[in-house]
Amino acid sequence: MTEAQVGVGRARQPKRVALAWRILTYEKGRTALAIAGVFMAILLIFVELGFFFAVPQGGMLLYDNMQFDLLMCSNQYEYQAQPGQFPRSQLEQARALPEVAQATPLYFGSAKWRSGEDGKWPDVFVIGFDPQRRLFEVDDINRQLGVLEETDTVLVDTGTRPMFGPLTTGRVVKIGDRTETIGGRYDLGTGFMGLGVILVSDLNFARLFPYRSLDQVNLGPIQLKAGVEPNRAAEELRKLVGPDTRIFTRSELEAHEAAYWTTRTSVGLIFGSGLIISFIVGIMVVYQTLATQVSRLLPQFATLKAIGYANRFLDGTVITMSLLIVIVGFVPATAAALGLYSVIRDETLLPVAMTATRLATVFAATLVMASISALLSLSSLRRADPADVF
Amino acid sequence: MLIAPSRLQRLWPPAGFVPLAWRNLTANKPRLIRSSGGIGFAVLLMLMQLGFQRAFFNASLEIIQRLDGDIFLQSASKYRFATRDPFPRRDLDAARAVSGVASAWPLYADWFDVFWRNPSDGKSFLVAVFAFEPDHPVLRLPGVDGNLEELSELDTVLIDRHARRFLGMDPSIEQSELNGVKVRVVGGFALGPNFESDGTVAIGDRTFAQLLPGPGGDPPGVEVGVIKLRTGSDPVAVQRAIRAKLPPEIAVMSKAQLLELERNFQADVSSAGPIFAMGTLVGFVVGMLIAYQIIYTDLAEQLPQYATMKAIGYRTRYLVRVVLEQAAFSGLAGWIPAWLLSIVLYSVVGEVALLQMRMTWDLALISLVLTLSMCLISAVLAVRRVIALDPAEVF
Repeated sequence: MTEAQVGVGRARQPKRVALAWRILTYEKGRTALAIAGVFMAILLIFVELGFFFAVPQGGMLLYDNMQFDLLMCSNQYEYQAQPGQFPRSQLEQARALPEVAQATPLYFGSAKWRSGEDGKWPDVFVIGFDPQRRLFEVDDINRQLGVLEETDTVLVDTGTRPMFGPLTTGRVVKIGDRTETIGGRYDLGTGFMGLGVILVSDLNFARLFPYRSLDQVNLGPIQLKAGVEPNRAAEELRKLVGPDTRIFTRSELEAHEAAYWTTRTSVGLIFGSGLIISFIVGIMVVYQTLATQVSRLLPQFATLKAIGYANRFLDGTVITMSLLIVIVGFVPATAAALGLYSVIRDETLLPVAMTATRLATVFAATLVMASISALLSLSSLRRADPADVF
Repeated sequence: MLIAPSRLQRLWPPAGFVPLAWRNLTANKPRLIRSSGGIGFAVLLMLMQLGFQRAFFNASLEIIQRLDGDIFLQSASKYRFATRDPFPRRDLDAARAVSGVASAWPLYADWFDVFWRNPSDGKSFLVAVFAFEPDHPVLRLPGVDGNLEELSELDTVLIDRHARRFLGMDPSIEQSELNGVKVRVVGGFALGPNFESDGTVAIGDRTFAQLLPGPGGDPPGVEVGVIKLRTGSDPVAVQRAIRAKLPPEIAVMSKAQLLELERNFQADVSSAGPIFAMGTLVGFVVGMLIAYQIIYTDLAEQLPQYATMKAIGYRTRYLVRVVLEQAAFSGLAGWIPAWLLSIVLYSVVGEVALLQMRMTWDLALISLVLTLSMCLISAVLAVRRVIALDPAEVF
């Protein structure tokens, strides 16, 4: 290849875009259809990806709303709703360390909510903690900590299902063998903790579960003093507590929960396969459009070839068309995905949300999709032989 | 214009009829492959979503299906199958005395209190537990190997060979622990995980009573009372007679009612329904767009031909029919490979995810109807061009 040709190739860059643009805008209806197809395919990728991450994130819901730097738990810890137990004395040991500002015991239990609709007794997930401590980052909870100090009073998560009956403040309900009063509601979400979640004081927890000792703790969120490096403090604590107790930093915990949901359950496979299929569907849609366009415009492409345009120029035009279609389709798909995410949040109570990384990932996937479809349709372009066409 | 292979011509269609739709479809092979690929993947997407949905719901219903009885007793406050809500044994005994009842035996169960120790790595995992009197196995476990009667010995267990792998329920193991108590493995069955549990063990009633004694050390309560009727007795009448004899805290249900309760619960509460329904819907819309694109392009290309046919006297109705037929053929051409591929994918995914993904006739039918309707809707939207077509304008 001579230098002059390379130079020409460069000069033609904007020309290529211009040609692709004109082909696409020439038949607006057809292009609109292609964009609609791409739009759906991208939307599908967003939805599958949303579910894929929402499930582990649903599992992180409680942690995301709690204040802590390190989490102490049993080495039998599976995931948040199945954490195992460890002795409270270990938390007290941790509290004695100079790096540690606060170490709070957290108790989990499951009880029958004996005041459901239709005489049913749904299971309620009970979280017990010392209301003197500001453990949660949820304003509703912190505002109502005083309510928790009243005897036999509970706070109910607003995500609790309708089968539990009305969640009005002041309603008296039977939980396990106790009669409790709903002291208020808070907005955190039930995640995968169950159909309904309530918060109680540690003392009330002990009354609800008389056979359980408060000396056995489910989780121990630890707050470090300002300026302490979490990883270093975690090392320090691990030496202190021995092999039966586990210390997670926040990032380790996040990785553990994500791994649990994607490998221990069917979640990874189900949404992973959905993701792959939607990616292929996207390729098919774009390919369909490009191949049709190319075969329709074959005489024109052949003419261009006849008057001296290089194959590279024509290839470039098709690839540019492909990229233009997906980029234009990406914008409304993102907008629709935002809307759909909020519908999904309401319908399934999963924390499906748009993040910058997800946006970038899907955009990158979209470009890959466009390139693959373009490469597939180049073979039809090769058929553009000036001698054949005329 | 393509000449259809003679073999096809002989089979299809009846003499004297020009299969215009079929010829249009097969005229351009690469385009046919492209279009069936596009529609096919959309169909595959729907089939996978439908398959997952079925697998999830069936997994939670399967254990109920396997209860070996005609009428069932359980606490009236029990809102789903997989929750512990036992009732006193004496109510089951009272039911046994009702005339028309042949037998009444207990199923004990628990989902959230028993931990199985994986013998290979020593970690403990929550499992579902079913227990019965070994002489009266009220639960027909699938694929049992080993002797159920060995369960009458204390601390023996049957394990689920299809449990999730991390539980280590390998058929070759001989012993492990349940809640720290050593148990001997006397056999296995093939059930598999579901929404609630990663694996299941079956034990004898005596082992269950030791593991999870009732309050104050009493024998544990019955989870489900499984009643069989004498042959010839009227199930509705017997159900009514049992109902009359038992306190209102006990629900007396037929198997259909028991299944209905669970189905309603799952549909009401679980996220799986909306998730997979949404996936299916998206597949449908994508498929519709792809089909529309195919039909629209094809119509645009054939417009002069359609105009010619109109000009020489073919009615619009006939032309519309051709377009619709062609759309239906395109749908079929996408559905068939997708359906075949989904059978393969079902067995692969089912094996890996331990889900019971089965291609059933009704699933095939539902997906076919969805496919045809998505193609026909697209065709109806696209066919307006043919209806509006004026031969004078085309030429």
